Amino acid sequence: MSGLGAALLNSLDIGLLLFVIAVGLNIVFGVLNVINFAHGALYMLGAYLAFTLMNLLGLSFIVALIVAPLAVAVLAVIIDRLVLRFIYERDIADSLLLTFALLLIINESVRMIWGSGIHTVQPPELLRGSVGIFGDTLYPVYSLFVIVVGLVLVAALWFIFNRTRAGKIMRAAALDRDMAEALCINTKLVVTGVFAFGAWLAALGGVVAAPMRAVDPGMGDKIIIESFIVVVIGGLGSFPGALAGAMVLGLIHGLGGRYLPEINLLLPFIGMALVLLFKPNGLMGKGANA
Amino acid sequence: MTKLKPGKLVTSLAAATLLSTGAIQVSADEHPIKLGAIYILSGSAATYGQFAQRGIDLAISEINGNGGVLGRDLELAIEDSQGKAAVAIQAARKLVYEDEVDVLMGLDSSGVAQGLVPTIPELQKPLIITHAATPDVTGNLCNAFTFRISTNVAQNMNAAAQIAAESDANRWTTIGPDYAFGHQSWEFFGNALKDLKPDVELMEDTAFPRFGAEDFTPFINGVMDSDAEGVLISLWGGDLVNFVRQATNLGFFEKDLELMFTVGAATEVLTALEDRMPEGVWLATRYWYDAYDNEINKNFVKAYIDAYGNPPSYNAEGAYAAVYAYKKAMETTGNTDGPALAKTLKGMSFDAPNGKVTFRAGDHQAMVSPNWGRSGPMHPEHGIRTLEDLRIFDAEKVSRTVAETGCTF
Repeated sequence: MSGLGAALLNSLDIGLLLFVIAVGLNIVFGVLNVINFAHGALYMLGAYLAFTLMNLLGLSFIVALIVAPLAVAVLAVIIDRLVLRFIYERDIADSLLLTFALLLIINESVRMIWGSGIHTVQPPELLRGSVGIFGDTLYPVYSLFVIVVGLVLVAALWFIFNRTRAGKIMRAAALDRDMAEALCINTKLVVTGVFAFGAWLAALGGVVAAPMRAVDPGMGDKIIIESFIVVVIGGLGSFPGALAGAMVLGLIHGLGGRYLPEINLLLPFIGMALVLLFKPNGLMGKGANA
Repeated sequence: MTKLKPGKLVTSLAAATLLSTGAIQVSADEHPIKLGAIYILSGSAATYGQFAQRGIDLAISEINGNGGVLGRDLELAIEDSQGKAAVAIQAARKLVYEDEVDVLMGLDSSGVAQGLVPTIPELQKPLIITHAATPDVTGNLCNAFTFRISTNVAQNMNAAAQIAAESDANRWTTIGPDYAFGHQSWEFFGNALKDLKPDVELMEDTAFPRFGAEDFTPFINGVMDSDAEGVLISLWGGDLVNFVRQATNLGFFEKDLELMFTVGAATEVLTALEDRMPEGVWLATRYWYDAYDNEINKNFVKAYIDAYGNPPSYNAEGAYAAVYAYKKAMETTGNTDGPALAKTLKGMSFDAPNGKVTFRAGDHQAMVSPNWGRSGPMHPEHGIRTLEDLRIFDAEKVSRTVAETGCTF
């Protein structure tokens, strides 16, 4: 039983981190109609900035948690103004090509700036080690921290989308940009703001991931594949979808790795295939909108 | 047929002249000998390719500084395999047909090696593998043009089984990447250990996480809940870094387990982990910079540290040694003809940082031993764990016999 408890906590830990990344991808798609291939690269930038701030400049984890995502959000504004704004109205395939180019540029830049090596970031003193939760089964404190951060973000995002003016404007812009514009909403500002917000979320995920995952030039590519699976399972452009997809994939990894090790490689794709067969728009793809 | 206009004729003649001048330059013996290398240069394992490239650069600058090979300078053309077989095959063709390299070297992954090696004979250039460890490429997939300078899985696992057999652990399981390397490591280790210690139990419960899985907690919990006494861990690169940190968090290293990391002493990984790599576990590597007390090794390690600031990894050593192997083969052959070089390499012995190395004629596998040792205190200057109780094995004893490899040319 204790094994199952730990496996469920693992699923939550993996799933909530994936949610933080995938929800940014989803919001950007919902409002900008852009599938952002470079989203994983922004996550990686967050992690590398955390590494720089903490290991090279000796600043604390809290500083990294605040500064790194903001820096990446500023970069996102620049990207949006320089290139992205030209393709909002174009076919979605164009955005794939453009953001794929961005991904390659960011990946290579990261390698040029920080080198090819693998780096590690230590969790803050307070969050190191493990605690006994299920009798003698130990669970890492840092993973509990990730779960808390994830849950706080779920609640905050739900609140923003459903209870604040900014959230309503975002949803309005996602549903019908022309109509929103007619109602005197500055959609240009909204669109840029949403892209920056998506980048902020990705980078926040990167900072949170850095103390438990290797910081290396491939980390962005790995997470983007997972995020796409989340989006396919949950439904593109939907906030509850990102949460559902991330939880399903978290459970697949957490329980699959533990109890079905022989086929754990296949499980995410089986899950994806089943969803595509029976709910082609994803679990929450229809009716529910960010 | 259209008649050439005078103007066009002049241009064509000019073009032809230019082309033939080029041709003359190409046929002159002053042009450099080109080495074509294929390594992982991007993504998570990019650090492996970087170390290899540094090893090659070092060897080339030493050789060119001493008059080159056959009076010609060496030059490197390097391509990124991205860890994918299809990409590596394209890279090899580009190197041979476009860049016109004379020889090939490289390969960081077993999966890449299995895909690329069968296509090498059509290129008619020798390939020296410096890292990828699958037994197949010097076994049932062997061919006249493919050689390997680094230890293979069979050699490493025969050595590992000897250490495991000496330990008190009787129930063994594994955690390894879910592709050729992880599965073959466990298979060869299990067979060798059964031979040495028939009453040992190889557990059914094994863990093969996806390569690049990022989160190994479920698998670590699985092993911790089992009654295993020994664990063979064949994760490498970023996976291994993630695994060790997550395992530390879960108290995995406080359990009384015999732990053997089949590629744990890669300096790429040790540098990333620093003192987070636990003390007292068995770590292996194809080559440990501190294991060989000979002049070549001393010079190599010193030159490498002077140039790059950290000690050479096994990947740097393999790449460095391969350049010197090619130098000797070219000087013995007297030219750089691909098929002739392949004939020379067969059975050739040469001096490398890890001693005298021979490409066995029967399967083209270098007769080399892995280095196993227990992780010790941190090195005061290099910032990585030292290795204690270093074990170097008799290469003949840990290698499969040629008959066992299944290799026929």
